[in-house]
Amino acid sequence: MKFWRHTGIKYGCVTGGLSALLLAVSSNIQAAPITFNTALPVAKEEFLFRQQFIVMQSGEDPSGTQRDRTETISATALVYGVNNKLALFGILPYRDIDLSMNVGAGTVSRSNASLGDVSAFARYIFRQKNEAGKTLRLAAFAGIKAPTGEDQASDSLGTLPPPLQTGTGSWDVFGGLVVTRQTLDYQLDAQLSVRINNAANNFEVGDVLQIDASLQKRIWPRELGSGVPGFVYAVLEANVSTQQKNTINGTDDANSGGTRVLLAPGLQYVTRRWIAEAALQFPVRQNLNGTALELDTIARAGVRFNF
Amino acid sequence: MKYSIIKSITLFLASIALLWSSFSFAGGTQYDMRVDGLACPFCAYGIEKKFTKTEGVESVDVDLQKGLVIVKTNESKTFKEDELKTIIHDSGFTMKSVTEKAR
Repeated sequence: MKFWRHTGIKYGCVTGGLSALLLAVSSNIQAAPITFNTALPVAKEEFLFRQQFIVMQSGEDPSGTQRDRTETISATALVYGVNNKLALFGILPYRDIDLSMNVGAGTVSRSNASLGDVSAFARYIFRQKNEAGKTLRLAAFAGIKAPTGEDQASDSLGTLPPPLQTGTGSWDVFGGLVVTRQTLDYQLDAQLSVRINNAANNFEVGDVLQIDASLQKRIWPRELGSGVPGFVYAVLEANVSTQQKNTINGTDDANSGGTRVLLAPGLQYVTRRWIAEAALQFPVRQNLNGTALELDTIARAGVRFNF
Repeated sequence: MKYSIIKSITLFLASIALLWSSFSFAGGTQYDMRVDGLACPFCAYGIEKKFTKTEGVESVDVDLQKGLVIVKTNESKTFKEDELKTIIHDSGFTMKSVTEKAR
């Protein structure tokens, strides 16, 4: 706390933009813009494993204190098909966060790393239409985020502020709808999701409404032969998220929340057993409240396995 | 002595012939299924795994472009149409038709 007071920036000023960022990421982990876990078909009584590495960089600081934040996330997802309509998802992130800022006398850096908050959700496909070489699926999903990460971690300067905690300390709920249109040439996924956050340690992250869309176009092989060849998809995704202001001791933080629009070009290589994928997300519009820290880029790379 | 050699050769040739005939008439069935919803390689694996877990299934081949799933079984295994439909359905797809032929 002292660290933040020394900077002349209120505790909540930093948390605003950063927690929005964190929420965008955690929401994206569920939606998995490059992989769209929520849209992924999982056969009955089968498992799917996904590992994704994410590096988020934020350095556009309207507060003038040259805040610079880097977070590296290793997100592990496991999916189980209960039947051909119902699938269960579990996501476990490991988070490593570094934050530095100018405090007048110099630059102060703080960091934290540990397992983050675990998310678990269920997806139910309520409408599916299969045609030759095509499928259309409509599904709903709902789940919880459990406070398994650290929310009271500290360093030599004292308790770390929320942007440096690997968990929020709260039980939160989320849900939404996801639609997939897949053909042999392309796949289109879109998702609408809402996250309702709760308070912990007198701090509550603002609720989030998010829309994700992903277009995957097969670029290789250009002509399909027989059998099951590997596919290369060019991917373009868009993510729009809007977050309400955070509250500290029941009061709105004026420097938190806002709207972000991200674009993410990427590539996927898809085989029968595994998928490798990478994308670079960058903001095309950030309309954040007050001095909330802006996002620079998010780099993602990962693999998925059927087993 | 000479008689014994001829007998051995005859027995050997008879064994080869018997073995050959067992290969030539392996039995078993081939099921060619038209499946709707198959649109990517990753999806195909679910079907392959479901069938290969079934005892008596010797091979599973998927042709994405044709929407075709070909399952070959040995002589100990036969599928009923409903059984095939259920397996395809559990994998998230729809079986439109099936033709079966002896191998």
